Amino acid sequence: MSAIIEVNDLTKRYKNAKEPAVNCVNFTVEDGEFFAFLGPNGAGKTTTISILTTTLAKTSGIVRISGFDAEKEARKVREKVGIIFQKPSLDPSLSAEENIRFHACLYGMCGYRPGFKLMPAAYRNRVMELAEIVGIKDVLFKPVKKLSGGMQRKLEIIRSLIHTPQVLFLDEPTQGLDAVSRRSLWDYINNVRKRNGTTVFLTTHYIDEAENVDKVCVINRGKITACCPPEEMKKSLLRQELILNAEDRGSLATELSELGLSYTLDGYFIVPYQGLSAQQIIARLNTRLTILKIHEPSLEDAYVEFLNKTGGKAE
Amino acid sequence: MSAMVLQRNKSKLYRELNTVVAIAARDITLVLKSPGMLIMSLAMPIIMMGMLGGNLAQNMAGGLGFQYGRFMMIGMLINMLFMVTTMAMTSLVDDHETDFTQEMLVSPVSRYSIVVGKILGSMFGAIISMAGTLVVGLFMGITLSLKQLFLILALSPLMCLSAGALAMIIIGLIKNKRTANLAVMFVTMPQIFLSGAIIPINHSSGILLVISRLMPMTYCLDLARAVVYAGTPEYGGVVLFNPVINFAAIAALTVFCMIVGTFGFARSERNR
Ligand SMILES: Nc1ncnc2c1ncn2[C@@H]1O[C@H](COP(=O)(O)OP(=O)(O)OP(=O)(O)O)[C@@H](O)[C@H]1O
Ligand SMILES: [Mg+2]
Repeated sequence: MSAIIEVNDLTKRYKNAKEPAVNCVNFTVEDGEFFAFLGPNGAGKTTTISILTTTLAKTSGIVRISGFDAEKEARKVREKVGIIFQKPSLDPSLSAEENIRFHACLYGMCGYRPGFKLMPAAYRNRVMELAEIVGIKDVLFKPVKKLSGGMQRKLEIIRSLIHTPQVLFLDEPTQGLDAVSRRSLWDYINNVRKRNGTTVFLTTHYIDEAENVDKVCVINRGKITACCPPEEMKKSLLRQELILNAEDRGSLATELSELGLSYTLDGYFIVPYQGLSAQQIIARLNTRLTILKIHEPSLEDAYVEFLNKTGGKAE
Repeated sequence: MSAMVLQRNKSKLYRELNTVVAIAARDITLVLKSPGMLIMSLAMPIIMMGMLGGNLAQNMAGGLGFQYGRFMMIGMLINMLFMVTTMAMTSLVDDHETDFTQEMLVSPVSRYSIVVGKILGSMFGAIISMAGTLVVGLFMGITLSLKQLFLILALSPLMCLSAGALAMIIIGLIKNKRTANLAVMFVTMPQIFLSGAIIPINHSSGILLVISRLMPMTYCLDLARAVVYAGTPEYGGVVLFNPVINFAAIAALTVFCMIVGTFGFARSERNR
């Protein structure tokens, strides 16, 4: 594998801003990797993506996509990337399909024709196929301003995929989507990743979406504070926990103390453990339990704990 | 099977032309979908040609040595083209506000194709207004021959490019609609007054002369009048320059404005 995104000492200070929004950031993304770029509001995620996709000028540093300099060889970079912007970027007066057609023409996928029926069959089939997958087939010919927010998002998703980019930037792609749509979207994106080897660069505030990524980078106040596979992040930060409760809480408390286990009470007993396995602990308890849960640490837990530790609460 | 798979076209020229067409087609679609814009395009000639032009013709046009009505109508035709093109260029500001500009700028096409597409899309409304001007002229008893009409129509894409390129220099830098509307006044008004659309500029001097010589509209008007007055005794009194000079001046000013305008626009979007 080789690096498809290389970012060296990237700094961006917006006009008239006191602090840089992105401050001397370094990271690489391998070809075909599923990469999550996480951080609180205002951390600098969108700023970084905008520079990587050539729509924002950097202050200093080097950015290379697929070996091309994002500033000097911007056009070659644009050929490689696709993006779902955080803010909707549709033409509200055109129909959904007209928005897609416009995009397809700008990426040289087909010649412009003044009507869907006049477009080549390959285009029509692909649009229909994608619309079916994300579930907006019924509204394809309605003006975008009459679509709901979630439908507009789905439309943007189709649009970003129609030219099969090599690197796909997703800036909070699922905001506003219902649970079913979210899931089918991720199924589809995973499918695209497998089939085309597409590199996916994701930012999201739904941390569960980053659970299966290859690498997580955390950015906070413009600086990268961690960059590793998600398992490593969980391992380095999280203790495992048992969640217990009993009718005879006194007896349970005594037993836990005898086993040398500390706990916190939050309606029930939260018992962090290390060394002993969950099974070993439960086997030694005689009090009849009314609640028994083993808390599997999620990436979200690790992420929140990490931000708290590094003093990263967004103000 | 390969015909059924969507693939990127490799030819760079084809892709740029396709981009220009797609962008222009989008702006035309937007005009067609917005009755307000259509009505405006048709109402403008009534105000400009019917009221302003008509009033000037009735009250001010004695002793010119040529018939004012026709002189003014050519002026109004070109003026309409410039005004409506400039106004339509503010759709760039709408695109900025809906973030559609980002969608265009992130795509792998030349920034010039985007700007040229925008300008040619603006031409649609301009042609409607020119047609409206002709109809108002008809009511006022001023007519052009078919040949003259055809020649002016054939020249209008070039004139439109020069109008749009000039507008780009200012509108390309503006990011909100209210300022953009003021800027349209700022760009179009001096052109109406100084380029010779409604007032002959044979006696202009000083700073007003300099400004008029820097405006592409001056040369566009002169070229259009050269076409209409060719072979008539009034030619010498109405036309200022040789058509070749007009052509060269329009081309040079258009290229210059296009480069400056496109650069400024792309830069203002990227350098935030
Ligand atoms: N156009 C701009 N001009 C000036 N400052 C800006 C601009 N856009 C963003 N910023 C500032 O840059 C910083 C980073 O913003 P950015 O949009 O990159 O954050 P983010 O990580 O994407 O946040 P979120 O999760 O809320 O989308 C913020 O402090 C923001 O206020
Ligand atoms: Mg953001």
